[in-house]
Amino acid sequence: MTATTPGRARQAAWVTSLVVLVLVTAALPVLLMGGQAGGRSLDPADTSLNGSAALARLLQAHGVQVVRVETPSAAVSAAGPFTLLLVTEASLLDRGAAGRLAVAFGDRLVVGSVPYLDVLASGVRRQGPVRARSRAPECTLNEAVRAGAAYTGGTSFTGPPGSTGCYPAGDGRSLVRYTADGHTVTVLGDASFMTNLRLAEDGNAALALNLAGSRPKLVWLAEPGDPDEAGGSGDGTDGQARSLGDLVPGGVKWAVLQLAVAVALAALWRGRRLGPVVAERLPVVVRAAETVEGRGRLYRSRRARDRAALALRAAAADRLAPRLGLPRTATPEEVAVAAATRTGRAPEPLLALLCGPSPGDDTALVALAAHLDTLERQVRDS
Amino acid sequence: MALTGRAGLLAALAAIVVLLAPEPGLVVLAAALVLAVLVTADLLLAGAVRGLRFQRDGERRVRLGQSATIGLVVDNPGARRVRGVLRDAWQPSAAAAPRRVTLDVPAHERRRLVTTLTPTRRGDREAVAVTVRSVGPLGLAARQRTFHVPWTVRVLPPFLSRRHLPARLARLRELDGRHPALVRGQGTEFDSLREYVVGDDVRSIDWRASARRSDVVVRTWRPERDRRVLIVLDTGRTSAGRVGEAPVPGSGPSGWPRLDWSMDAALLLAALAARAGDRVDFLAYDRAVRAQVSGASRTELLSSLVDAMAPIEAELVEADAAGMVAAVLSRARRRCLVVLLTDLNATAMEEGLLPVLPSLSSRHTVVVASVADPRVAGMAAGRGTSEAVYDAAAAERLRGERRGITAVLRRHGVEVVDALPEDVAPALADAYLALKAAGRL
Repeated sequence: MTATTPGRARQAAWVTSLVVLVLVTAALPVLLMGGQAGGRSLDPADTSLNGSAALARLLQAHGVQVVRVETPSAAVSAAGPFTLLLVTEASLLDRGAAGRLAVAFGDRLVVGSVPYLDVLASGVRRQGPVRARSRAPECTLNEAVRAGAAYTGGTSFTGPPGSTGCYPAGDGRSLVRYTADGHTVTVLGDASFMTNLRLAEDGNAALALNLAGSRPKLVWLAEPGDPDEAGGSGDGTDGQARSLGDLVPGGVKWAVLQLAVAVALAALWRGRRLGPVVAERLPVVVRAAETVEGRGRLYRSRRARDRAALALRAAAADRLAPRLGLPRTATPEEVAVAAATRTGRAPEPLLALLCGPSPGDDTALVALAAHLDTLERQVRDS
Repeated sequence: MALTGRAGLLAALAAIVVLLAPEPGLVVLAAALVLAVLVTADLLLAGAVRGLRFQRDGERRVRLGQSATIGLVVDNPGARRVRGVLRDAWQPSAAAAPRRVTLDVPAHERRRLVTTLTPTRRGDREAVAVTVRSVGPLGLAARQRTFHVPWTVRVLPPFLSRRHLPARLARLRELDGRHPALVRGQGTEFDSLREYVVGDDVRSIDWRASARRSDVVVRTWRPERDRRVLIVLDTGRTSAGRVGEAPVPGSGPSGWPRLDWSMDAALLLAALAARAGDRVDFLAYDRAVRAQVSGASRTELLSSLVDAMAPIEAELVEADAAGMVAAVLSRARRRCLVVLLTDLNATAMEEGLLPVLPSLSSRHTVVVASVADPRVAGMAAGRGTSEAVYDAAAAERLRGERRGITAVLRRHGVEVVDALPEDVAPALADAYLALKAAGRL
């Protein structure tokens, strides 16, 4: 006994730790998801802090058509003479794609640390990294002057001759606009003023609206995502329509598979018996009094008062006879008469008690039993 | 082979890795492969169980209600240490403890494990199997094998009524030669002559011997000795009914079979009769002879009796009274005291024993001893409600039948002992002493 109790405790500890492990594993994806908070930065369809869904909504409210594209070729085909192409640091580019964008129709807005800047904005040079913070425009560019102070910085640029620069930072400007070959190209060093996080600060929203809403149609080159996601969100709808299965990262399904393997192994562990089941031929367990109890129930269900009274009277007479000095073969009448003589009671009621008619109802039967007990006690005490 | 919890835990830990990994599918595959390799390695490195050798020692007999310790020596002839668990499986009613023990036998060494049995019922209890699970060094997988290491412990009747023996022996000594009776009476035989001492009854003076010895000599008498007592135990269906409260823990709430109470009474009677100098034989019978003891010496009587009684179980068949009487008559050629331990069941008696009783009672002194049911006595006292009174009537009817059959038996010259479970052994011993004092043996 003493050996099994610590064994049980150890087993319980095992089971508990296993359960805790499973729970932690199940909770991990949720925690990890919360930490990432949506990874699609500067996406017009993303409502997280890094996304730009708010700006897209504002532009739509101001009558600007926002076209969300994911590939440079789609951007080129969507671009027209009266469109603005927005290229952000989240856009996926290679040199060839940058070249195709550079010759596409319409104006260009290049925001953040975009690669191949020399192709997209040929005259603009990077001056150096500067801290992004709220800065005053200090220039004559209408869009910037109307917006006022805004969260800019990131990289400072020097523009080509004839260009306009705003928001001075370090040796250069963090906003440069110039016109070449009929395209108006605007370059900004930091993109965070367009995010949902910063849009409400200072004049960020005004600056973003002024810059991105300068043309009736805005082609927004966003970060490529899942194919099914990119299809239906062309006009900047948010992610409410996605099902739970889409929200679960792909790794979780495999982890569930691995957990199933773990559960199967645990089942094998617990299911393996330590040796065979031992059978034993046991003796029958039957209480000797069962037949008597059955007979009692039978009397009760049939209301067999006559038989019950007979048995009680016979038993009382059997016990009385030796006490009264009568042989065991004495009839009930003889016993009744002898008992009357011994106790001094009238013989008629005793005759009726010991050999009268059977009781009419259960109450009479109970009373008969009590009277027989009284008579036996009187004879015993006399 | 068998896996351990660690294998499952490892797989569960791998699930976390899968969750964080960039290529979860590959990790699942890799985890399965790694786990398979580790389990295989563990199985290969685990101590070999196939070659283990076992040896048992310990008790072969135990009284019901007491505990027996059985040793199991595990010999590991292999080259690797065998670590893990061992289960020494016995039949459930042997109540073996501990159920499993941790095992650690270094290579070429042996260890002794101890199992304690506290049986809950009479009979032969067998060791069924010894299972060894040898866990590998990583604790991931184990080799397992079951061995058959036979051992039988015979659980003897507890002989609880032996506490009544000293009082009965004292009664016996009053009858016996140690208090020699100076008056010849029934059931006495001549013992010896001795010198007269003041206080002896003058009527016991043997004048003829006194004349020869020129000294006053008295005769002493002693109770009859070397009578034969044949105890017959009815093992038919009526002996299976459970009555009273089991005096041994673990026997269940429904009481103890009549058979066990009867054995208790038989053991007390045998012990008493052996001390009184009588020869005791034993026969257990339902439709055939189940067990018998005959011609045992006085010193070995009790041990051979309990040994013969231990494996007897009640058979669920109607006892064959005619066959029983024939078996008794074939064994008891001289006049003897036949003690029949059965139930005073009216129908069974009328159809079975009563027709053949005269052939038995004409040649032998017969005592019928039966265990009454205290539950029936309790029911007979029930009053107050109609249910209780109906039950009381049923109980009184049964008791009336028992009284009737008792009266019939007594008319045949048979002594009847009908007592409650705890009282039947001393009541039977008293009946024996009364018969001995009356010289009816």
